[in-house]
Amino acid sequence: MIAVSLTYLILIGGAYLACARADRGKTLQSLKIAGGSLVKLVPLLVAIFALIGLFQVFVPAPLIERQLGAASGWAALLTGGLLGAVAIGPPLAAFPLAGSLLDSGAWPPAVAAFIVSWVSVGVVTLPFEAEVFGARYALTRNAVSFLAALLIGLLVGMLS
Amino acid sequence: MTKPAPARAAGAFRTLVRSQWLLLATAGLYGWAFAVSPERALQALGIGGRAFASVTLIVIAVFGLVGLLQVWISRELVARLLGREAGFKALLVAAACGTILIGPAYIIFPLLMSIRRQGARWAVITTVLSAYAVKLQMIPLEVQFLGWGFSLGRSLLTVAAAIPVGLAVEWLMERSARRPSRRP
Repeated sequence: MIAVSLTYLILIGGAYLACARADRGKTLQSLKIAGGSLVKLVPLLVAIFALIGLFQVFVPAPLIERQLGAASGWAALLTGGLLGAVAIGPPLAAFPLAGSLLDSGAWPPAVAAFIVSWVSVGVVTLPFEAEVFGARYALTRNAVSFLAALLIGLLVGMLS
Repeated sequence: MTKPAPARAAGAFRTLVRSQWLLLATAGLYGWAFAVSPERALQALGIGGRAFASVTLIVIAVFGLVGLLQVWISRELVARLLGREAGFKALLVAAACGTILIGPAYIIFPLLMSIRRQGARWAVITTVLSAYAVKLQMIPLEVQFLGWGFSLGRSLLTVAAAIPVGLAVEWLMERSARRPSRRP
């Protein structure tokens, strides 16, 4: 992650240098816009990451496992999708959790819905999404993605 | 006539709450967490801090890119490449971009919005975000935990669904946008 981030940063730094040689004024304007939007959105990002930490500590993996393991059929599919929507964290954390769910006999479509919803629907990041894109878009996108996650879950579960 | 000081203070407080409500709510939750269990609250703070530190460089790079795009790339170009006139090709480009990008999706929200303001259609923005769920670079890891059938099936279906989801969200956005548009 660090290597990739540094590569991005260096590429964009290079682009700024190249632009500065072409037109100083426009490049300064770019910097001002970049700094302005950074300052505006950083408090939100800080809040989101603080929430991610809280969530990971206070809603531990065993709790999710218990909830999803207890449900069956359509209820399991819905539970998987909802848990995935509320859960937040890197997919790196979702895979082992889903793996242990499959091993302990959870219904595959529900596990698939959980994973897809985990990476594409974000209840915790919803306020940030609404701030950037507007509430209507954030709600519409997450609702449609949630339905898609259930559908993909069903199909994956039936195929595999 | 200037307002009395208490009213001004109340107004300033309201503005603060409206603009930073999420930060305030999070601080409140942490207050509760510290009251309930100080060591777990500290642990949560540590996890959040480390997660934030790991994306700091990318966040700076993304905002740098936002600044460059807004000043140097013309609206006409964005509209031609990623707007309605670009047709289906723009959606394919969006799906491909979403598939190969890395990091959490919310990092590129500001970038996508700046492209949107310059004329990209909603379907393009949404398709990028939907395809983002594929996580190409993590497939080997996913296979390790969930097996080939599950991982490939999930990734292929996610890519296949990205464009339909994008078009559906765009349709919903434009339908709801048309109704109240009685402005001249």
